[in-house]
Amino acid sequence: MSSEDLKPRVKELIVRQLKLDVDPASIKDDAPLFGDADGGLGLDSIDALELVLGVEKEFGIKVQDEEVGVKAFASVDALCDFIRAKAA
Amino acid sequence: MTGASRGIGRAIGERLAADGYHVVLTYRADAAGAEEAAGAIRAAGGTGEAVKCDVTSAADIAALADRLDKEREGIDVLVNNAAVLKNGLFALMPDANWSLVMETALGGTYRMTKAFVRGMLRRRWGRIVNVSSLAAFSGAAGQTNYAAAKGALVAFTKSLAAEVGPFGVTVNAVAPGFVETEMISFLGKEAREDFLKRVPVQRFGRPEDIAPFVSFLCTEGAAYLTGQTVRVDGGFVG
Repeated sequence: MSSEDLKPRVKELIVRQLKLDVDPASIKDDAPLFGDADGGLGLDSIDALELVLGVEKEFGIKVQDEEVGVKAFASVDALCDFIRAKAA
Repeated sequence: MTGASRGIGRAIGERLAADGYHVVLTYRADAAGAEEAAGAIRAAGGTGEAVKCDVTSAADIAALADRLDKEREGIDVLVNNAAVLKNGLFALMPDANWSLVMETALGGTYRMTKAFVRGMLRRRWGRIVNVSSLAAFSGAAGQTNYAAAKGALVAFTKSLAAEVGPFGVTVNAVAPGFVETEMISFLGKEAREDFLKRVPVQRFGRPEDIAPFVSFLCTEGAAYLTGQTVRVDGGFVG
């Protein structure tokens, strides 16, 4: 799975699964997805759960629990790394 | 449908089958009872199967979840009913009696719910029914372990309901009073009379008294009812 395909796919997944009113392309690769940090998406724990479900459905990858999830979902880059590692 | 080889579990399983669900009846050791229950379901025109699954075994549960994911894309309704009684005074209670009761009713509920809840969240529909007990409220001596486990289910029910509400999954508990099954067969004549004095409906419960409410909880019509524990105990006063 090339980076070129994966990043836009992940960004689209985030927008679609969480019904966000933003252009997927506008999400920065390294912006923190969760919490109140500047430039982040400000997602919460229910959003995290939605994202886990979305990743499971879209990529067939199971996020075991929140310990794994916190690292995997830190940013779009982190999520792409996680997906690539699991798909290998 | 855990602990479904006999008693309340079996009655609930039969009722859900009559409602049109394909019912998976799990049992720890009573294969004959579970097969008989599955047979009764099929004889009544429903579909059901008996599956060996010890709810204290993470491996058993993982295998069951795996199989149901593949064969049926998961489940829509989970009834956490499996429980054992190991009564005795707390001051003399062996550790094993505490652990087993907790691991079956509470631990089993944890493991089973964990294994199946994501599928319900993903499909945005689910019904989780936990079988608690009058013991969670009545504070009788000799039941510290059972009361603790069944009481924990009441709290768990509320909390989980809050989490999964947004996903179309409801979580409720039913707390039966004394229901005429093998589980209360140890009660002596005096204990039974004492009990009946406190029950306005003036009889012991039957498994058929519990099943209809569980059946209702699993319907579309009960979509706005969640986080609740309802006592079905003949109005037990005490």
